[in-house]
Amino acid sequence: MTASLVRSYPKRGGDLLYAPQPAHIIRTKQLTALERMLEIRFADGQDLGHRPGQFVQVSVFGYGEAPISICSSPARKGSFEMTVRNMGGLTAALHRAKEGDTIGIRGPFGTGFPMGCMQKMDCLMVAGGIGMAPLRSVIDTVLADRDRYGRLIVLYGSRAPGDILFTDEIEGWKADERNQIMVAVDREAPGWSGHVGVVTTLFPQVKVKPDGVAASLCGPPVMYRFVLAELHAMRVPENQIFLSLERRMKCGMGKCGHCQIDGRCVCIDGPVFTAEETRSIHESI
Amino acid sequence: MAQKAVLDAANLAAWLGKIRGRSSVMAPVKRGRASFAFSWIDDAAEVRLDYVRTVLSPKQAFLPSREPLMTVQRNSLQVSSAVAGDPFVLFGIHPCDLMAVNQLDWSMLKRNNVEDPYYRARRQAAAIVAVDCMPDKYCFCTSVGSCSTREGADIFMTPVPAGYLVEALTDRGSALLKSAKTRGPSKDDEAAAQAFPERKRRRTILKIDAHAAELPDLFDLAYSSEAWENTAKRCYGCGTCTNVCPTCFCFDVRELADLTLETASRWRQYDSCQFADFALVAGGHNFRGDRPDRVRHRWFRKFVYLNREHGQPFCVGCGRCSQQCTAGISLVDVINSVIAEAKEKVA
Repeated sequence: MTASLVRSYPKRGGDLLYAPQPAHIIRTKQLTALERMLEIRFADGQDLGHRPGQFVQVSVFGYGEAPISICSSPARKGSFEMTVRNMGGLTAALHRAKEGDTIGIRGPFGTGFPMGCMQKMDCLMVAGGIGMAPLRSVIDTVLADRDRYGRLIVLYGSRAPGDILFTDEIEGWKADERNQIMVAVDREAPGWSGHVGVVTTLFPQVKVKPDGVAASLCGPPVMYRFVLAELHAMRVPENQIFLSLERRMKCGMGKCGHCQIDGRCVCIDGPVFTAEETRSIHESI
Repeated sequence: MAQKAVLDAANLAAWLGKIRGRSSVMAPVKRGRASFAFSWIDDAAEVRLDYVRTVLSPKQAFLPSREPLMTVQRNSLQVSSAVAGDPFVLFGIHPCDLMAVNQLDWSMLKRNNVEDPYYRARRQAAAIVAVDCMPDKYCFCTSVGSCSTREGADIFMTPVPAGYLVEALTDRGSALLKSAKTRGPSKDDEAAAQAFPERKRRRTILKIDAHAAELPDLFDLAYSSEAWENTAKRCYGCGTCTNVCPTCFCFDVRELADLTLETASRWRQYDSCQFADFALVAGGHNFRGDRPDRVRHRWFRKFVYLNREHGQPFCVGCGRCSQQCTAGISLVDVINSVIAEAKEKVA
């Protein structure tokens, strides 16, 4: 199997290259104290046409633009979703925004997770914190076309029970016996009877054939080194491991220079890379 | 071969005046006691072609330090793009800066298959008149292949005792040259112009101790060199080097709402990989939080990453960063120490 990570170029060029397209917030859902999910529809009704793992540049009037992952599956037509953590001026504005408000969207940008490489394979998702958001896009894509894929194994590490995203959906994922869904929180907490420990402590419960698994990773920078060590110990080939790198990005098109690491622009050559690639990319992990 | 003519020194100002009468002109002028700057000129007599280097590079003609990208309407998010390009002449740039324009053409118009509309508009609107020059102790153009760049110029001028031997290299250049009072070159003019590049090469003392194409592999050997730590100890992280660099193109994007809150404008401005927050993301994680990493990134981006991608280092040997560095860091000294270390490793 060879990974086919496909670059994505701006849909609109010319004078409108940097211009966001108007879109409306059509539904909001508070997921945790810090995270809110927004459902977005373009004003002209078109589909975003993204791949799981891609991101958009979101414009909020007066605040500017920020890169945010898409958390819904391309199978959803007419709208897409993103999960926003309230961290700064622009994201706080997105938390205050009401249904019907207009924002701007550029994108989708980046490679995304190669769904074609995951077909017939066991799909292992390793998520840390808000890294669950882009992986939900992958998970929903698998679930929307369930028979094309092998088992779905989700390892999801969260700081505390209150930080867990998509709690109601996770229960739904568990309903299919082909799915193995495991959630861990970092420390003991009142009312939490599930697993306690960082996400790597879930690995002993994972039984897969190294050749038959495709692993998708998204989480904080510190998570990757440890998860890659686990996958390495399981002898999962590095070109069957896909991980999404976060970086500062301004343009999303390989121009502004912020996300350059080694010879790559994370916005356009990534954010999803194979573990094989990242091994030779300085500053990636 | 382009038609050659001689523009006597006494006729330069008159020609510039005619050009200025038809379009805007950006050209070098004297600033203060010893500095030069590229400036939009009113009076042709201000223009000084006897400069070695300007403080800021002529990239500002195509990539201003700050420029509006668009205005946005509050309710509709209706966007008015600010792409504009009135014809102008960029006059009197040196071969190194001309090569830098070619590098920027690649990075802004070709790299990653994306064409930046703001850069394109200004670039297409420009006619470029280049003039050859003699180096000072900061110049190292012979080490990066920029000492005799002509590509990208509409007119190339070589200093000769009587004035300049001028060659129109494009139709746009021929048209521009029509308004100049020129004469046919004498044998002495031809000989002086022909000897110029070799004289220039001989007088370029500062050198990188390896061929530009070897730098990526040599730098790779010195990725963990102490040179980065040592340079970082002296560096203030002020960003002067990237501001004055003719090939640096990294930018930040900012949005400013008007007081009425009805419209906002989105701007881009020079950013610097030497600033502490260059790779900082929401939540506080800084992917290049240590100064040695930022210092190494600058050298690697110029001499390794973009060199491999484009086949040329993103440095044209103009010497600005070394001359302007607030901490007195010499770009070439750092490169040569890295080369020495790498060569020791393979020896």
